[in-house]
Amino acid sequence: MAFIWIIIMLISIAALIFADPSAVLSSMITGANGAVSLALTLVALYGIWLGLFEVLDGTGIADKLARLLRPVVRRLFKGESAETEKYVSMNISANLLGLGNAATPMGIGAVGSMKRGRNKAIATTNMIMLVVISATSLQIFPSTVISMRAAAGSANPADFLLPCIAATVTSTIVGIIGVKLLGRLLEKREAKKDRKRATKTYLSTDLSETAPTDVTLNVAGKANDRKNDFMLNCDPLTSKALNGHAPNESVSRGSGETEKSL
Amino acid sequence: MTIYIVPLIFLTVLGISFLRKKDAYSAFVKGAGSALELMAGVLPYLMAVMIACELFRTSGASAVFSGFMSPALETVGIPGELSELVLLRPLSGAGSLSVLENIYATYGTDCFIGRCASVVYGSSETVFYVSAIYFSKSEVRNLRYAIPLALVAAFIGNIVGCNLCRLI
Repeated sequence: MAFIWIIIMLISIAALIFADPSAVLSSMITGANGAVSLALTLVALYGIWLGLFEVLDGTGIADKLARLLRPVVRRLFKGESAETEKYVSMNISANLLGLGNAATPMGIGAVGSMKRGRNKAIATTNMIMLVVISATSLQIFPSTVISMRAAAGSANPADFLLPCIAATVTSTIVGIIGVKLLGRLLEKREAKKDRKRATKTYLSTDLSETAPTDVTLNVAGKANDRKNDFMLNCDPLTSKALNGHAPNESVSRGSGETEKSL
Repeated sequence: MTIYIVPLIFLTVLGISFLRKKDAYSAFVKGAGSALELMAGVLPYLMAVMIACELFRTSGASAVFSGFMSPALETVGIPGELSELVLLRPLSGAGSLSVLENIYATYGTDCFIGRCASVVYGSSETVFYVSAIYFSKSEVRNLRYAIPLALVAAFIGNIVGCNLCRLI
């Protein structure tokens, strides 16, 4: 992201110096203005959807939806807490319905919930999966394009729907396969490094602070998460050490199903 | 049909909340209250992305790039006229929408190019926006292979969609 951004900025400003130097600031202002007015619109939209989500959460529908989508979500996002699964399933449902603006706050919530208990600033495979799934679009019914085509005088505004759905499905499938393959490939490479690090952390962590039950639950969740075979075989205390200071809440909530799925 | 989705969602959720005797009002206020805080975190990223996108367009760099891209796109079955749309779609929703409008005005909506353009716009999302926003509230800064992979996947989708347009 950072790299692409700086490249685009450098190329564009360099080009404008020769073409039209005064346009640099004015187009930056246009862009920033656009961002601010978009942000204002989005505050209103997010307010509506986050408000609805809170109501939804209170009624227990969100949990039901999460349970309904669990088989799919579980397969795509291994070893996440119940809270994450709830956010992810809300995100996916909103995306499917074409409510991109409702999906965004759920996506932010999902990433935040995945981040909890990890102190690395590197995206996990599950986070990448979420971004790739959302970015390749799950929308079955592209209402914006249809209404634009109708406005432009199309004889059959929905004429492109079949190829469009094919394109959406293809891109999402390619994305999912890509994440799974790359994730596995890179994790194998990381596993060696991790094993060294694990023994180091094990030696340096205070083991007395957690109750034994929590430790076993952590093993179930964590082992599932990392997909590394060696994690399954390691003893509970090492796993606790690896997990750092994961909040007990998310661990105990997700634990029942995690053990089953193991 | 789609116009009923949103009203029905709200009706169902609020109805169930009422029937279960939950305090929908306080819950809604609590949820809506987090919107401003959320946006405060998102705004800087939004600005960075949109400023870069605007510069990219006004500088003519995007036109030059899409000029280079056209022949390559043609070989995989995407009309070369769509190169600017393909290039801008992952960057900016508003920017690519105006390009789409332009294509409709120039070539019409129902010809091959118009339908391909609809597919390109309809089948993918603003990859950069999604990536920036989803991570804006967490300290995660290294997205690893997320963006390149999403771009490649969306592009493969475009190829499939446009070639299908040719057949159907």
